[in-house]
Amino acid sequence: MIRFIVRRLGLMLLMLSGLVVITFLVSNVAPSDPAALAAGPDATPDMIATIRHEYGLDRPLPVQFLRYVAGLARGDLGHSIVTGHAVATDLATFLPATLELVLLGMLIAVALGMPLGMWAAVRRDRAVDHVARIFAVSGMALPEFWIGLLLLLVFSGWLGWLPIGGQLSIADAPPAPITGMVLVDALLHGRLALFWAALRHAILPAVVISLPALASVVRVNRAEMIEVLHADYITAARAHGVSRARIVGILALKNAMLPTLAMIGLRFGWMLGSTVLVETVFDWPGIGLYAVNSAVSSDFKPVMGTTLIIGVLFMVANLLVDLAYGLLDPRVREAGE
Amino acid sequence: MRAAAARAPRGRSLRRLRFVAWVVGRNPPTMLGLGLVAVFLLLAAIGPWIVPDARDAVGAMHLGSKLLPPSWAHWFGTDEMGDDILTRVVLATRTSLWVGLTITGIAIVVGTPLGIAAGYFGGRVRSVIMRATDMFLCVPGLVLALAIVAALGPGILHGVVALAIVWWPGYVRLIEAKALPLRGEPFVDAARTMGSSDLRILLTHILPNCVSPLVVKASMDMGMAILAAASLGFIGLGAKPPAPEWGAMISTARSYMPDSWWYSLFPGLFIFLTVLGFNLLGDGLRDILDPRSARG
Amino acid sequence: MRRRNFLIASSAAAAAAGLHTQPADAFVREGKRKVLVFSGGQPVPVLDPHVKYDYSTRMMQQSIYDALAKYVDNPARIVPWLAKSWESSPDGKTWTFHLVENATFHNGDPVDAEAVRFSYERGLKLNKGVAWMLKDHLDPSGIKAADPHTVVFTLKSAFPGFLSFVPWWFIVNPKEVMAHAVNGDMGQKYLTDHAAGSGPFKIRRWDPQAVMDLQAVANYWKGWPEGDANRPAGVIYQVIREPAPRKAALLRGQVDMVTDMTPQDYDQLAKTAGIKVSSNPGMTPFTIMMNTQHGPTADLNFRKALAWAMDYKAFLQVENGAAKLMDSPFPNAMAGHIAVPDMPHHDLEKARAYLAKTKWAKGGLTIDYVYVAGLEVERQLGLAVLSSLQPLNIKVNVQAMPWPQLVARGSNPQTGPAMIAVYVTPVSTDPDVVASQYASSAAGRYWGMHHLSDPGLDKMVETARLETDPTKRMALYAEIQKRIVADQPAIFGMMEDRRWAMRDDVRGFVFCPVRLTGEVDFYPMWVA
Repeated sequence: MIRFIVRRLGLMLLMLSGLVVITFLVSNVAPSDPAALAAGPDATPDMIATIRHEYGLDRPLPVQFLRYVAGLARGDLGHSIVTGHAVATDLATFLPATLELVLLGMLIAVALGMPLGMWAAVRRDRAVDHVARIFAVSGMALPEFWIGLLLLLVFSGWLGWLPIGGQLSIADAPPAPITGMVLVDALLHGRLALFWAALRHAILPAVVISLPALASVVRVNRAEMIEVLHADYITAARAHGVSRARIVGILALKNAMLPTLAMIGLRFGWMLGSTVLVETVFDWPGIGLYAVNSAVSSDFKPVMGTTLIIGVLFMVANLLVDLAYGLLDPRVREAGE
Repeated sequence: MRAAAARAPRGRSLRRLRFVAWVVGRNPPTMLGLGLVAVFLLLAAIGPWIVPDARDAVGAMHLGSKLLPPSWAHWFGTDEMGDDILTRVVLATRTSLWVGLTITGIAIVVGTPLGIAAGYFGGRVRSVIMRATDMFLCVPGLVLALAIVAALGPGILHGVVALAIVWWPGYVRLIEAKALPLRGEPFVDAARTMGSSDLRILLTHILPNCVSPLVVKASMDMGMAILAAASLGFIGLGAKPPAPEWGAMISTARSYMPDSWWYSLFPGLFIFLTVLGFNLLGDGLRDILDPRSARG
Repeated sequence: MRRRNFLIASSAAAAAAGLHTQPADAFVREGKRKVLVFSGGQPVPVLDPHVKYDYSTRMMQQSIYDALAKYVDNPARIVPWLAKSWESSPDGKTWTFHLVENATFHNGDPVDAEAVRFSYERGLKLNKGVAWMLKDHLDPSGIKAADPHTVVFTLKSAFPGFLSFVPWWFIVNPKEVMAHAVNGDMGQKYLTDHAAGSGPFKIRRWDPQAVMDLQAVANYWKGWPEGDANRPAGVIYQVIREPAPRKAALLRGQVDMVTDMTPQDYDQLAKTAGIKVSSNPGMTPFTIMMNTQHGPTADLNFRKALAWAMDYKAFLQVENGAAKLMDSPFPNAMAGHIAVPDMPHHDLEKARAYLAKTKWAKGGLTIDYVYVAGLEVERQLGLAVLSSLQPLNIKVNVQAMPWPQLVARGSNPQTGPAMIAVYVTPVSTDPDVVASQYASSAAGRYWGMHHLSDPGLDKMVETARLETDPTKRMALYAEIQKRIVADQPAIFGMMEDRRWAMRDDVRGFVFCPVRLTGEVDFYPMWVA
């Protein structure tokens, strides 16, 4: 097991280096002068050169790359040329909001998806099943940015039930950060009104971001459930007079748990990536919005930093899923060794 | 032996085709998917001849009638240049079809040989290929696309490049998983002892066995690639104006929300229905062609 | 029909929620005083007044800092501020400013001549942001604090435009800034999100990407024009990036004033009860720079053909009529502006006549129109250009680019596209600001992407810049405007109206044309 983990960590390091090379190459394929943006439209060429020099952009590309890599080794992701901020600090500021959104989305996906999938399986090939199946496929097919806009239009624009975007309205000062996640911090501080305000802001983006995962969870649970319902021991249990509800409720749930968690874990990286869209639509101050805003101004270091952090989180999530599988399922553990 | 092998499947495939038709006919979601895909392909084929005014997709302007709500004259309303949204949405179908095919095509062309090589040769070849695959699998496609926007600027081609980079690893994994167990199959061993070259074995024995899962995945991927491309359009990697593109239309429409709701509604609906069609179809195909993996 | 129903439905929903009648939310009060909440789409990543300026940034800088003088009113006037008076020597080289005695920084330090000297020196040495305005005319050694309340500037040469830049050079507190200097950065890191000013507001909460909460300085050294009773408790600048939620926030009373909306939104807001829209003539020309060195646009006749082929009416339609066509390279509010006779307008006959004198008499070529990615109006104008040139059989490749890439491509005449969409707001009303944009010294700068090289024009611009007799100077600028139009380095488009929408209890708003599009001076404003 230990050997397995060490090997995986080594591989992660290798993959990470690859990711660094890819993002660096992408950022430098076209002639671009981010210093010109930082200097402003009226700047003279020598003013632009000042900024270029300050950020080391006047050095040859290989030198820039080595400096970047050397910085990475120290945990330094470089500086934004627009704000001058350290990218690592910025990411630390914005990441909790993104994690909050993604975790809430995962929660929604599991809480709704498992019962729905099981229900569909129990009523296999009937109307409920077809609806659930279409729904499950729809979840994957809905453009998140579009459904987000429509939900905003309906719930915030027309009905006026929910706020229009952001993490909190300006009336509410965010709680003193403990985890950095507003919902969690509000609870930890025991400020229920603030929690409620934050939840009202978070619910639409969380629902939108959960949709593809929700669809997957429904599918997995439906399939697992169908398998379970046909398994010998279930037939035996039913023959012994165990009630149908009990079978569905306990045995099937137990069986579906692991694949559901694995599915959610694998979806995690995907959801992180899609925050780029969802956070843009909902003006959610996370790393997705940070990356988009930086990309608009060709501010490469933040975009590269975001790519790296999402890549790393994705790898970690995969590793955890594999480990969980390895711990819980001996067959996988053997195959992994 | 080869002649016999070639003849037998043909009879089987005819029977199989009838079986497929029968299964599809009894499966409403798959029927729906097939229908949606058919409509989508039809629109792509004959779009320019059925839309109200094809010039609206190449830069015509009617600034006197901008942002009109849906009406008899403009079923889907008009946009900020006064162009008919129905026209633009329908004509954007071709772009999406092209993008979906290109991304999926590149992914198959790159991923399949790598997957087969990894599965068939095993050993060091396999581990190098699979490590590279894993690496690309953890590149967040949309964020990479953002980096490309930042560097190259908008353009649908840039978006296709970004997506193709992250799309092929899925095929390597799929094909590798299919090819790996075939390695030790008696008929492969037999071919090898009879002196067939590796290439020949790959083409005649391994590849045909991978076709079913490939078709299923390609069908699902068409939808997902179209969706991903629309997402890129939304974040600014859309088609060059005035060419219509669904994601880019929604991106522009955002500025005119909530009053001009029709502007974002219809392009989104087209994305949704198209992607839904391919997904349902792929789902149904999987049940038929590849029943063992019909989960997850 | 459908639309009307929808409008009724939405206003009914708004009324049901009590949106129109409700005063702004309770949080924008502080005791009896109210807080003015303003919303725009652009954050303020760098507050440092010597490093960066754009509309949102300078709006905050003007609130937190003071300068020796200030631009107010329409037409713009320069009024004394930290300096109570000033005079210049007859040769125009020496400028003496006498400071007010009672001005203090927020931490209590007096605003003295040394602070002024330090601030100008800092601006010049950092060589960023505002530096370009004065660096060719002033060296750090030319600034002297003669006594605690007198500053003397000795320019390298006479420069009549000097005073027009003074209001944009804000004074920072040297002690506070230098106390936070790291690695010889003269406090740049600190001033990015901290302030060391003497202005009417100070920072209470600073989240540059979302909420910037400013508190009014109760005993501001210059007092409050609206009287202490009306004075707001503070000003909040809230960043809402998309126009749609910004509009909704205004309608719901969550913000008092917005800018940066689409023309459609303004038209609709103007008709909404409880909201007023302030419309003012703009001073930001939209021009399409043409590459005068390379490609078909290097041919003057080709440029003329394009200029006469443009459907200028469509430009106005894109803005829903809220714009004015340019009748000179100079914006109307600029000193010395004249209506240039024979300014190109939409005339296809003339366009064809000019085109006939080129290699491309029958068209049949494709040229690029490049604009800044994400600028919606520039994209629509590009489509208008595309459609305008169809009759000449010239195809247009409308291409969006990120700003840095656009500049990288455009600043080299070999790679520069045929047409680049450019907005430039002149930072002052001194005509040299615009005239020098067309001199060859403009090469390498954002608005120099036309790469025009006309030695005659260069000479005229140089002479006019240094002419100290105002009448003679303006006569020179009249000739310069005609010469620029004759050279046609650009297609002169229009000036978009500057508009803000605000709730009708917002008071004290004064439009001033030299401020940037969207920029507001909060000092005289309050919520009734």
